Amino acid sequence: MTLTTRQARLVSRTCLIIALSVVAVPFVFPFLWMVSSGFKSATEIFGQPSLIPRVWRWQNYLELLEYQPFARQYFNSLYIAVAVTVLTLAISSLAGYALARMRFAGAGLLMLFLLSALMVPEEVTIIPNFFLIRSMGLMDTHAPLILLPVFGSHGVMATFLMRQYFLAIPKELEEAGRMDGLSRFGIWWRIALPMSRPALAAVSIITFLFSWNLFLEPLVFISSLEKFTLPLALSNFTDSYGLPLWHLQLAATSLAVVPILIVYLIAQRQIIESFALSGVKG
Amino acid sequence: MNLRMKSLAASTILSLGLISGPALAEELRFTVWTGSEAHLKMLNEIAESFKATKPDVTVRFETIPAADYTQKLTFQLAGGNPPDLGWMMEDAAPTFAAAGVLMDLGPTLREAEGYDFADYSEPALGLWTKAETVYGVPFSTSPFMIFYNKTLFDEAGLEDPLQLAASGKWNMDTFQEVAKTIKDKTGKWGFEFKDGQGYESRIMHALMPPIRAHGGDVWANGECGFDKPEAVQAVQQLHDMVFKDKSIVPPGEQGDYFSGSSAMTINQISRASKMPEAGFEWGIAPLPSGPAGESPVIGQAAIVVFERGEQKELAAEFVAHMTNKENVAKMAQFFPPARKSVLESDAFTSANAIIPAEQMAHVSDAIAKGKVLPSHEKSPQILAAMAPRVDTLWKPDAEVKQALAGVCAAIEPLL
Amino acid sequence: MADTLTDKTSARPWRAPRLSLRRREAIEAWLFVSPTVAGFLVFFLGPLLAVMYFSLTEWNLLTQEATFVGVKNYVDALSVNPDFWHVLRNSFVFAIGLVPLNMTLALTLALALSRPFRGVVFFRTVFFAPVVTSAVAWAIVWRFLLQGEAGAVNQLLASVGIDGPNWLREPDWAMVAVIVTRVIKMVGLNMILYIAALQAIPRDYEAAARLEGASNWQIFRMVIWPLLAPTTLVIFVITMIGSFKVFDHIYLMTGGGPENGTLVLAFYIYEQGFKFFNVGYASALAMIMFVIVLVLTVIQMTLRRKDMR
Repeated sequence: MTLTTRQARLVSRTCLIIALSVVAVPFVFPFLWMVSSGFKSATEIFGQPSLIPRVWRWQNYLELLEYQPFARQYFNSLYIAVAVTVLTLAISSLAGYALARMRFAGAGLLMLFLLSALMVPEEVTIIPNFFLIRSMGLMDTHAPLILLPVFGSHGVMATFLMRQYFLAIPKELEEAGRMDGLSRFGIWWRIALPMSRPALAAVSIITFLFSWNLFLEPLVFISSLEKFTLPLALSNFTDSYGLPLWHLQLAATSLAVVPILIVYLIAQRQIIESFALSGVKG
Repeated sequence: MNLRMKSLAASTILSLGLISGPALAEELRFTVWTGSEAHLKMLNEIAESFKATKPDVTVRFETIPAADYTQKLTFQLAGGNPPDLGWMMEDAAPTFAAAGVLMDLGPTLREAEGYDFADYSEPALGLWTKAETVYGVPFSTSPFMIFYNKTLFDEAGLEDPLQLAASGKWNMDTFQEVAKTIKDKTGKWGFEFKDGQGYESRIMHALMPPIRAHGGDVWANGECGFDKPEAVQAVQQLHDMVFKDKSIVPPGEQGDYFSGSSAMTINQISRASKMPEAGFEWGIAPLPSGPAGESPVIGQAAIVVFERGEQKELAAEFVAHMTNKENVAKMAQFFPPARKSVLESDAFTSANAIIPAEQMAHVSDAIAKGKVLPSHEKSPQILAAMAPRVDTLWKPDAEVKQALAGVCAAIEPLL
Repeated sequence: MADTLTDKTSARPWRAPRLSLRRREAIEAWLFVSPTVAGFLVFFLGPLLAVMYFSLTEWNLLTQEATFVGVKNYVDALSVNPDFWHVLRNSFVFAIGLVPLNMTLALTLALALSRPFRGVVFFRTVFFAPVVTSAVAWAIVWRFLLQGEAGAVNQLLASVGIDGPNWLREPDWAMVAVIVTRVIKMVGLNMILYIAALQAIPRDYEAAARLEGASNWQIFRMVIWPLLAPTTLVIFVITMIGSFKVFDHIYLMTGGGPENGTLVLAFYIYEQGFKFFNVGYASALAMIMFVIVLVLTVIQMTLRRKDMR
């Protein structure tokens, strides 16, 4: 029996979709389980496993807001991530532009130094940074959560990504700008930046996620509840004696995850496009 | 000239003070691990009453989650952002005392008017004093008690631990029996280690009660006790319960007493505040006795003042206020006291709104007879060295004796 | 004037203004990079030098007393302390388990999802979703799913007749569990990078190869794979460094246990420094970690350079 090309394609496509669906199970199931458990009572979470709660406990969401300043902590994570993203964009695109387009003594050496920073995990420098932040009087503030990612290895990576993208922009456009009497800064601002939207978008996404998920730094630098970021807050749904409040924790976890997923769902095409167009491909 | 210098210095200090906020000078920062509204309300009342002698002083209670409490405190102390005073758990006490970060409260307490320092029982202070130095004042001297689910005991047709204790039959053997019967008859777990963390963060809390009941100890005078026959016997029994009887919630499993999936657990009475919402009948009984008779285990927490705080004298005075007779009696509704006068008063046994006086009597009995959990200057390292060895113990086919010998080999260099 | 500002590479008859222009450009360039450089010096180079110094001292975090002890911490780590080699082994096992699994899965998924078909958006979203989830949330959920008997994973296995292990309580299985859950969490990012790279490969290349009668596998091996090489290098380096610095995942899933079976270098550094207060020893460990990552990256880059030739 022979299949037409069309039939063959249909069969292979169906196989592909079945295979992908199987692989997708461990990716999807945790989310379904998380969201459904967020509506259960603590007792039911330990009871007979089922994805549909027997009794929907919407009050979990109210209780978690009462339990700790969760809205405030949510906002902390959000504004820190935005600040880190904006600062990283500004600083890395400035430096990336200079490294791509301008000739200056020491550029080669600088590149080498920055490259080495790319390889050093935060864990290596966390102890001296702890003393540094202390001497700056910035303990238990959000400053280290903004400064360290912006200037640490993540910021360096952003610089390299920007540099790569700037290298690919045709020089002629900048020359036209120069003809119009733009300064270097003007060229960067009016011509180079608008042209590098995909790279800026890619860097923004990576940076935002990086900051959003940051764990070690908040763990070490933040001690007040109202200054917690989401990752810390999520691991803090324990009662006054340190017992985990599973139902609240899982409800809070859903609250932390679902909005980001929705944003991603809406923007996913642009996200992939910007990665494709940016220098991230290496 | 000298005067000018002085006034210059004074104005500099003044302006610095202004920059850092004028309220700061009169506010004490007090770290606690409770987030309970009832607890905080009581603490704030005590702070309010301090104003009778110090009208300008306010106390800010700062909640640090219990799970990370000692770690976060370390970050604050090392990070140059120390609180003025705070609660401290018994396992952290020797480490912090040895590092010299705790202030000696002795002079302040002995001089405080009407304080009667001698009212504190000596065993209760053991962990917090060294010769004349007082590193902290225990505010909670809370024995480990058996919490049981009466509904499940009834369902299995068993006498509950309190009844067994009354007839003198509440020992490690009956403990094992009833746990097994519960498991067989109801399908629920017979026993859950303290907060379900007996295999992880509460190894000591899981192993101490039976080891002491058998007359052993985990360590004493620089010598490891895990491999002594008493300890081996005790742990073997637990091991049988976990893997043969399958009556104790095993490692890697979440079983929760408070949501009704275990018939018994060990905990402290402050946890009773969780019980009214539990939805089953419950009660509190003493720990089962063992071959060595009754040997209650006590967990302790104290109030300490940090040496690096800027207002440590004032903080010390607040400790004296907070732990005077009146306030200790007030705190006794949540935290069993170490003051003899309060402990012996009827007020204590009847202070608890949730636990009947009959059961509270067992609590004060346990405080009188009990020994505090062991601690050590190198507690964090010892616990970390122990943990992987104890992990080898909790396997179905583990040789208990061998595993415990391994624990000793790991911790002996640190003792 | 605007005229003289044009391309610096074109021939210029006047020497003097050109020099000053160049100087001006250098000054401007340094202004552009100055925030990066300042941050680099303060938050990276300074701390790195500090770690080097700390690693030569015995320094207690709580008492804040430091004494110079020379290379004692390194000697301790390499020859005295029995934990170190075990921890290093764990770190390598983690990396060796994670990197190939992650990259193979990422590339496979990318190949399947680089061309549009009905449902492609759905699957891309599904595989990327864990990336945007915080590690804390991820660990909380998986700890539940991986319980010994009541866990969903083992119940699923039981339904097909497999008696699943007590995942997080047995050292070897715990390592498998942390690696696999980490791969599921992170693979989406690499997948997206590969999809981006695949979409940048001109269709003509593939069409030309197909005209010459190449099979799918040959096209992949001879055309696509070589063109992906730069992406593969970037992904490899990022993933490798990421696997050595894994901290939150271990901290939240296993706390290094059981039996120290998942105690990896980054977690060990944290424990030594912030739990046992041995700042000096922790710094020595950090330096060792730095050297390992550096060496591995340099090796990989040199190999690739040879490859290119």
